[in-house]
Amino acid sequence: MTGQEKLERGYRRVLACYPRSFRSDSEDEILAVLLATAGEGQQRVRLAEAADLIRGALRMRLRPASRPPRAVRGAVRLVCVGAVAQLAAAVTMIVTAASVRAALARQPDISVALRHQALSLLVFRAIGAVVAVGLWLLMAWALSHGRDAARLVFASFFTLITLTSLVALAQHGATYAAADTIASSAVWAIALVTVVLLFMPQSSRYYREAARQAAHS
Amino acid sequence: MQEATFLILTALADGSQHGYGIIADVRQISDGRVKLRAGTLYTALDRLRADGMVEVDKEEIVEGRLRRYYRLTPAGAKLLAEEAVRLRANATAALRRLNPGLAGGAA
Repeated sequence: MTGQEKLERGYRRVLACYPRSFRSDSEDEILAVLLATAGEGQQRVRLAEAADLIRGALRMRLRPASRPPRAVRGAVRLVCVGAVAQLAAAVTMIVTAASVRAALARQPDISVALRHQALSLLVFRAIGAVVAVGLWLLMAWALSHGRDAARLVFASFFTLITLTSLVALAQHGATYAAADTIASSAVWAIALVTVVLLFMPQSSRYYREAARQAAHS
Repeated sequence: MQEATFLILTALADGSQHGYGIIADVRQISDGRVKLRAGTLYTALDRLRADGMVEVDKEEIVEGRLRRYYRLTPAGAKLLAEEAVRLRANATAALRRLNPGLAGGAA
């Protein structure tokens, strides 16, 4: 393999970070420019070149195809707030798990089966909270990239938490801890505002346009 | 507007150019100060094309590789003109304050 081929292979490896649409459109072109600007006898991708290419790839992947309208940007910001709140909940759950376990161990009158049940519920909820953080972030990404399906998923999610909160309140309204009620009301309020923002006329126009562009490319 | 974007648009202001041509031109316009790298150039071009500021003028194959020439769209020319006027106003204000006697009568 000649030095030039080696260099070209190195560039291609870094260019693999770019979105597929960009690569199929411009990979050969940018490669030609990279080879033209490379130093005499250069055989390896320089660190500064790689850093510049990776930064470009990140920027291309993170930015939406067209700037979403204000309502959508607001909604995305609220979904990010949701992700942060969820993260806080997950961390609290994991941190307090140990003390809950210790408290359970100190209770001699609890049966082994019940203790097991309580512990697995704890693990289950902690894993669920971590997964939920990922889902919130995925939601924020999809909403800011004009995915109409994400809007419907969020609306379904909102309906779901509304219904479960109502059922929970009806079943044991008075016994609910105040902190729990306040936290879930806050989440519900954030989700409500997000849904309203997502279904405003200017938002709907943005999602329709994004779907049309996706169908074309 | 970032300086790289401003200089790319300036490089295209008097005719179409291909990627390497833009890099060389930007270097010359900025007196050797701005050395655009390929990643920066193509990320900016991708954005400018998506926004309708720049478009592909023509394509040719050189040494088996695609070479694209880019040009400003009317919207791109307008954007560049507005930015240039804004920068000039800022520069004039700065010079006037630094040097009341000399820059006061400019423009």
